[in-house]
Amino acid sequence: MSASHTPSPRPATGFIRVGKDLQAWIAGYRCPDCGAVALQMTLACRHCSSRKPLQEFRAAERGSIYSWTVVERSYPGIPVPFVSVIVDLDDGLSLKGTLRGADRDAVRAGMPVSLVFDDAGSAVDADGAAYIGYHFTPVAGEK
Amino acid sequence: MSDVFVVGADLIKFGRYPDRTPFQLGAEATLLALDDAGLGIRDVGAIYAASTFNAASMMAQQILMQIGQTGIPCVNVSNACASGATAFREAVIAIKSGMYDVVVAVGAEKNPSGMLASGKSEGPPPEGLFGSGTMPALFAEAGMVHSSAYGTTIEQFAKVSVKNHHHSTMNPKAMYQRETPLEEVLASEMIAWPLTKLMCSVNVDGAAAAVLCSERKARELGLGRAVRVLGSALASDPWDARNGVMMNVNPVTRLAAASAYEMAGVGPGELDLVELHDCFATAELLHYENLGLCADGEAGALIDSGATALGGRIPVNVSGGLLSKGHPIGATGVANIVEVVMQLRGEAGRRQVQGARLGLAHVLGFGVGVGAAGVHILAKV
Repeated sequence: MSASHTPSPRPATGFIRVGKDLQAWIAGYRCPDCGAVALQMTLACRHCSSRKPLQEFRAAERGSIYSWTVVERSYPGIPVPFVSVIVDLDDGLSLKGTLRGADRDAVRAGMPVSLVFDDAGSAVDADGAAYIGYHFTPVAGEK
Repeated sequence: MSDVFVVGADLIKFGRYPDRTPFQLGAEATLLALDDAGLGIRDVGAIYAASTFNAASMMAQQILMQIGQTGIPCVNVSNACASGATAFREAVIAIKSGMYDVVVAVGAEKNPSGMLASGKSEGPPPEGLFGSGTMPALFAEAGMVHSSAYGTTIEQFAKVSVKNHHHSTMNPKAMYQRETPLEEVLASEMIAWPLTKLMCSVNVDGAAAAVLCSERKARELGLGRAVRVLGSALASDPWDARNGVMMNVNPVTRLAAASAYEMAGVGPGELDLVELHDCFATAELLHYENLGLCADGEAGALIDSGATALGGRIPVNVSGGLLSKGHPIGATGVANIVEVVMQLRGEAGRRQVQGARLGLAHVLGFGVGVGAAGVHILAKV
């Protein structure tokens, strides 16, 4: 494989989408009947069981922390500590992620955060393709 | 439909059994429960066997290989930490159906050691990149929702661990018989805030079994030590906006509890004791509210008051709970029912809840983003 033909980056988790311009976004799915949102396309809405196809949308990239913990011990080989957060995005989707660039003592529920796409810890797949991942950061000016 | 009675109940001492199979552990518990009932395997019409990790090996048949291959129907159940309650409930339904006079529900497990991990995913390992999927982190996050809403403190969560370790000093079949003062719980290794190592359940091997029978059979055996099953409920997690992203232990437990209370015709205020799923110290406080032992937001005050300790208004996890008796995943749901049975018979020794007439057993199981809760209510005959 020549250097001029580097494979395109791949999503590091199932709900990241990568466009032709290599811009990434999170895909959400909304029920046209009840408005419930989810991170997965399902055969029917898991809230109201409507069978109308869910509509894909591009998730918001701002939200606030719903809950969090500071992980001090994880599976063997995983670097610690890190801050694990559950974020409610502004459009109703929720997403789990790692909060980076925050003072761990200042983390609290309700804290506004931004979704930032990254290189998933510089991971590459068997073909040498890079991954695209994401993390959260505190919104500038917020502690 | 026949009422359902538990006429035999027992468990093996929880611990590590490197030289024995889970089937041998389950077989031993089954024989203990049959002996307790004064029955033999040839009296049993069907067997319901729970194991999160070994159900697929046809564990019920493997148990019969150890104690007598009578040809009876074997049902093998895996439903995460709710496996044991699921098997017990199938046994209840079997008796209620009128098809059987005597059935056995057994749970047995040899837990993998270390932190239990979920399945492999595509792409780079998600742990740390996309938050944490460890069980302590999930239950830490569940606890922090309560903490954020009501100001619940790490000391209040830690007191659950102090209490349950104290209780298990009086339970010879618990993994541990050792006091852990508050200072020690708080000072043990921090795993995921606010959970220290002593606030996480013990990974052990174990087995527990119960013999259930119809009213006709119970009268034939004599009702002296029989315990009546008043309520039996199983729920799956209902829709929640964060399903699949965050484990929410509350709605599924509330659904099962409401159903069990309705079937039993009793309310939480009438209970004399509760064995609930304290897989982590945070979970116990959440379940005080989920099971209606106190109003929403009051769980911290309830543990502070001492009401849930032995001798208090509503003792919780007098067996030592998952935190100190131990948590052999698929066996736990049967084991906590066995504890309630022992208490209602007045045979719980030093940890006996005086005058116990009505008890509740609860378990909660979670897989990747999905869950189950089982609640059983039992009464002294």
